[in-house]
Amino acid sequence: MSEAAAHDAPTSTGIEHKKLIMWLFLASDCMFFGTLISTHLLYRKLYPTGFTDAEGHQRFIQNLFNIELTSFSTFILLMSSFLMALAVSAMHKGQIKSFRRNVLGVIFFGLIFLGCQVFEFTHFYHQGLTIQNSVLGSTFYVLTGTHGTHVAIGVLWLILLYFYSFSGKLQGHVAALDVEVAGLYWHFVDIVWIIIFTAVYLVEYLGPNGFWGSGLPPVIK
Amino acid sequence: MSHDSHHAPVASKLELAPERSDLGLYRPDRATGWVDWLTTVDHKKIGILYGAFAMFYFLVGGVEALAIRTQLARPDNTLITARMYNQLFTMHGTTMIFLGVMPLSAGFFNFLVPLQIGARDVAFPRLNAFSLWTFVFGAFVLNASWLFEFGHLAGWFNQFEWHKNLIYTDFAPANGWFSYAPLSGTIGQADQALHSPRFTGVGTDFWIIGIQILGIASLAASFNFICTIVNMRAKGMTMMRLPVFTWMTLVTAILIILAFPAITVALIELMFDRQFGANFFNPSAGGQPILWQHLFWIFGHPEVYILVLPAMGIVSEILPTFTGRPLFGYPIIVFSGCVIGFLGFAVWSHHMFTTGLGPVPTAAFSLLTMAIAVPTGVKIFNWMGTIWGGRVRFTPPMVLSLGFIWMFMCGGFSGVMHSSAPADAQQQDTYFVIAHFHYVLLGGVLLGLMAGLYFWFPKIFGRMPNEKVAYLASGLVIIGFNLAFGPMHYLGLAGMPRRTHTYHAGNGWETWNLVATVGAYILGIGVATAFINLVWTAFKGRKVESDPWDGRTLEWSLPSPVPEYNFAQSPVIGARDAFSEHKYGDLRLIYEKDGGPSGVHMPSQSWMPLLASAGFLFIGFGMPMMSMGIPYAGWLVITGLVVLIAGIWLWALEGPGGYMLTTPTNTAPANQPSASLSR
Amino acid sequence: MSDLTHDRAFLAEETRRYHHFITLALWLAVITGAEIVLIFLPVPMAVVLSVLILLSVGKFFAVTLWFMHLIYDKRLLFWIFLSALVLALATFTALIALLNPAAVDTKWFS
Repeated sequence: MSEAAAHDAPTSTGIEHKKLIMWLFLASDCMFFGTLISTHLLYRKLYPTGFTDAEGHQRFIQNLFNIELTSFSTFILLMSSFLMALAVSAMHKGQIKSFRRNVLGVIFFGLIFLGCQVFEFTHFYHQGLTIQNSVLGSTFYVLTGTHGTHVAIGVLWLILLYFYSFSGKLQGHVAALDVEVAGLYWHFVDIVWIIIFTAVYLVEYLGPNGFWGSGLPPVIK
Repeated sequence: MSHDSHHAPVASKLELAPERSDLGLYRPDRATGWVDWLTTVDHKKIGILYGAFAMFYFLVGGVEALAIRTQLARPDNTLITARMYNQLFTMHGTTMIFLGVMPLSAGFFNFLVPLQIGARDVAFPRLNAFSLWTFVFGAFVLNASWLFEFGHLAGWFNQFEWHKNLIYTDFAPANGWFSYAPLSGTIGQADQALHSPRFTGVGTDFWIIGIQILGIASLAASFNFICTIVNMRAKGMTMMRLPVFTWMTLVTAILIILAFPAITVALIELMFDRQFGANFFNPSAGGQPILWQHLFWIFGHPEVYILVLPAMGIVSEILPTFTGRPLFGYPIIVFSGCVIGFLGFAVWSHHMFTTGLGPVPTAAFSLLTMAIAVPTGVKIFNWMGTIWGGRVRFTPPMVLSLGFIWMFMCGGFSGVMHSSAPADAQQQDTYFVIAHFHYVLLGGVLLGLMAGLYFWFPKIFGRMPNEKVAYLASGLVIIGFNLAFGPMHYLGLAGMPRRTHTYHAGNGWETWNLVATVGAYILGIGVATAFINLVWTAFKGRKVESDPWDGRTLEWSLPSPVPEYNFAQSPVIGARDAFSEHKYGDLRLIYEKDGGPSGVHMPSQSWMPLLASAGFLFIGFGMPMMSMGIPYAGWLVITGLVVLIAGIWLWALEGPGGYMLTTPTNTAPANQPSASLSR
Repeated sequence: MSDLTHDRAFLAEETRRYHHFITLALWLAVITGAEIVLIFLPVPMAVVLSVLILLSVGKFFAVTLWFMHLIYDKRLLFWIFLSALVLALATFTALIALLNPAAVDTKWFS
């Protein structure tokens, strides 16, 4: 699973090629999610009042948000990150069984997160927020959906690694590096969600009207 | 994961025993002919392929430009319809930028960077092949829009239901290279099929997916090149000993990885608007078309430096070679390049002065834009300092490089004029802007890249281009280009708007338009002459020794053409311009005791990068066909995604492979005593 | 494999990291809980917002430094990531500031 040149000679900086390229990718992804998040935020700033549903009723985003569900999925993603750190640690120590156990946990938690997102999307859709009926719908679904796609790619990657580990070829320095790089990707998806959780969800609950001032008090369900 | 130590080193890959990858398939290591080119992971071959495709698309973009100029040769011309004209200038800009200049620069990166830093390959050879083929398929998708356009004009589609439902029928992109919303986007409410009413036809969808695919190719290549430059330098090759071309490659790659995500997201948003009825830029739902301008230029301005920095790097290599002096102020040149790259992210709104940003942002962006003139000026003075007092040899690359400095400076001057917002308000959307950026992109980038081609062709193919033809081509290009774009300064200030397919007589624009058209044809003949000269050289040119120019950087220490393992023994570098120092002074270049009969490690060739990239072909045709309303086109997109994922998966599972290749020993260049210093 | 498992210092280091990871996971859970409680407390918005930003930035860097090993790895990786982060933050702060209701027309659309 590695490039030929990647593990032959020592590198100029002492950083493995794969680790360096993954960090470069993550640096690039900062700009990627920065663009998406700022698109959502600037439209919230321009249009603080939510959206109009199919029946023509003015709706507020706080009515849709379910802070308990989102907090739960945030917690799940944070814990998956913890398990991923343990999986990488196990791989460093060459403990393949411990690696499998932890990585299975990450996959499981990742799937729970995706399940929560699917539930959230369908719930919002039935509440009248669609990608077509407002700018809010467009920015919200595309931002969280793109993050969800990143999670799904991570889950797919880890599933492939999990099954690959049974071939007996996942061992030694190279495999530890492969797992660490997958881990870096997974943690990054997690920290993006930390930002989204605060910038997209929590700020809507600030003060009597939410940070953007939608004119509606938060509803605690 | 196999380390293939079971293979004995061989002298040629043709002597290899057939070997199966971890997937059980035979590796195409022993391939020759076109299979070899399709599966190659050799950075030199990939560089040549990049260059060949780029030169082809230069000609395509050039033909489009000549069609535009022919239409504008005289007033009230009816040669080309307004509809076709829109498609021509859009595809001309897009082709030249994304399919001409960027891949040609990428060709130079590929061929030169590993040689200049003393490496045997890039950090990720298969990823490099993936970048190449993704570019090739993206370019094909973008230009396939012409096939649909010609099919439409020929009436092939008239019988189909989907064709009858199309409101706008421009099949080639027709909204300018920056595709401003809402022209490129939607308006009104989406219908049941999630289609909002649009202003342009499916050409825009071709443009969106084409640029997206090309962006992926550029990003993958840039990750690879940063990794290579930072991590694979030979011993002793510290960052401040890197050749300037490699430095500029590094800055360019950093710009690409930080600038392209903005356009990637903007394209995703525009795609959602057009394909799924989203409202990012849809004014009737509250979307702000101006957001597209912001996101585009957050990418678009760094993109300008992505185009020009490699050319600056090339010139910074050529000037010292032909003046026999080290580059004047090397650290300052490097630092200026970095500052230009950094400032490139802070000036995007100067493309939007006329949109009404407000006084404070306008003043801020105006000042920052003027600030860019400082590091650029520093570079120009350093180049002049290099030439000053040198023994100048006026070879074709040198002539073109001197042309670069002079012409680029003219483009820079009109650029400083634009940075003043009140002046820009007058010049916006006139031919003055066309004159400005063609002076930068032709006078700067094209002359720089042509200089690079003439300079490194003897290294790439071991053959010397015909000098007389080269001088002729250089002269034609410089004269033609000034004739074509010089008058446009005047036309612009006289009020001629850009992007209009014709103009009426009586505005005083007739003479200069005719002059510009004549100049464009001279320029076209010049470029064609140069390209024919170069292609002829590649096959039939006069053979030359490894160091015909008395070069300064490491690639000239290698035989021409360069053997597939690059360095028979790994170099250890003792100075900046070590090869030159080594030839004429102290012993600055020694070699490690690797290679020889025990061999050097070569990466295995692979089909998988090509397979993975082929997924983009399906996606690239599927998305616009969805937009056309062709039934089941969505399945084409899904097929593409499956091919892409399968390609990457098989790529991971096949294992890197590799084999050992023996190299000749004792190939170190001679260190001449200082007596031979007289050149 | 043997070079990995038999290195005692390496194992000790990995165990130390393991304990850091567990401590950090607990902290992340506690902070996220505190954030959710915080938004419902009757405290001025400016205070809540500042604390929320501080807490998320804290979580963000905790994950990057420990889970993503930046604190253990070469310094260069940290600078690569931080410079991209700062650039993104600066660019998009400017973008959000540039697009304000006073500068763009949002009124005509109902």
